[in-house]
Amino acid sequence: MRIVVAGTTLAALAAAPVSAFAIDYLTLEQAAQQMFPDADRFEPREIGLDAAQLQALDAQGIRGRSARWTVRIARHGDTALGVVVADAVIGKFELISYAVGIDLEGAIRQIEILSYRESHGGEIRLPAWRRQFVGKTQAAPLRVGDDIANISGATLSCTHVTEGVRRIVAVVAQARRNGSLGP
Amino acid sequence: MSDPSVVRRARPLLGTLVEIGAVTIDGASQATVDAVDAAFARIEALQERLSRFIDASDIGRFNAAPADACIDVGDDARAVLRAAAALRDASDGAFDVTLGSGARAWRLDDRGVHKFGDAVRIDLGGIAKGHAVDCAVATLEACGVASGWVNAGGDLRAFGDLAVPIELRDEVAGGVRRFATIEDGAFATSHREGPDGIVRHASVAAPRCLWADALTKVVVATADAGHPLLERFGARAWLHDSPGNA
Repeated sequence: MRIVVAGTTLAALAAAPVSAFAIDYLTLEQAAQQMFPDADRFEPREIGLDAAQLQALDAQGIRGRSARWTVRIARHGDTALGVVVADAVIGKFELISYAVGIDLEGAIRQIEILSYRESHGGEIRLPAWRRQFVGKTQAAPLRVGDDIANISGATLSCTHVTEGVRRIVAVVAQARRNGSLGP
Repeated sequence: MSDPSVVRRARPLLGTLVEIGAVTIDGASQATVDAVDAAFARIEALQERLSRFIDASDIGRFNAAPADACIDVGDDARAVLRAAAALRDASDGAFDVTLGSGARAWRLDDRGVHKFGDAVRIDLGGIAKGHAVDCAVATLEACGVASGWVNAGGDLRAFGDLAVPIELRDEVAGGVRRFATIEDGAFATSHREGPDGIVRHASVAAPRCLWADALTKVVVATADAGHPLLERFGARAWLHDSPGNA
């Protein structure tokens, strides 16, 4: 074991500048391909939930949150293999985007984190801070040589991701029932 | 992705985000991806056996069992409970996987885990993540990965010829500060209330992540970054100044 502490004292740590932290793991395309390696295309499909459908989700204890979802149907030729859905959730300090792969039976095939952003201060609540990442698939590293930096801290809860995954599974199940995923 | 020579993935596991980084095996990026997948699968299997939220897990069965039962458990539960018992005894009960429901009301032997009271409940939250990290590292190495790291929500271990920079999260205001770099070793951080009701923020570096993870709880419980147990496990501890401290 070899550990080199950055400052000589803990006071030096307290004085160190606080920075944000960002990691990109996979693009949505890469994650989708990994979840369905046999797919030769991913067909985007809009799912719209009406008020009754949102209410039905509420009745299952799942807040529908959004009435519009874009899913990607994994296909090999004309055969559907499953769907991939991307989403993002915010926690106390972090913004996490992730993708869920769901097979034709509605079972989760894989969950992959696409990116992780940690803010400092209250900026995570600012729409402008969150907006800067929308649509970004790959961000520049924060500082040269920091590509492999790791965060250590009190355990980060993945409750928001878990809730998000439940919501997506329910939305996809409903879309399948009402035929909006098509053949 | 910013560094093509490293395969880096994260998945929600163990109630947190688990990140695995693997320096690409010479000319075999698919083999590296497969190794990372195998390491995630190892953690998933471990979660199935150790989670207290899963009724059929070793811990779920122990918690549901009546007093005087003896629960047969798998190798992972044995490894973690053996370490937990050693830490409990060496720390005078400061390390307690029953969270106060009966620190000495369970015993592990060749037959299994004995339960000495209906109300005894085990929660491996303070030590199992560290063990999971150690197991994932072993899987990566067995798959031919020479260097990399595994980080389970802040409990991390680096292996091979790689110095991993560690950023310490500010638990009160958010954001991170550069704290250290670690090579061939583990580092864990805890931010929780001690038995005296004071919230403390502690980190421990140790050769194995199981010990780093568990020893942060001892440091928080005893408020002693020089606790004698640390030396026994080749560990080093820091109590951070936290604005959340009373």
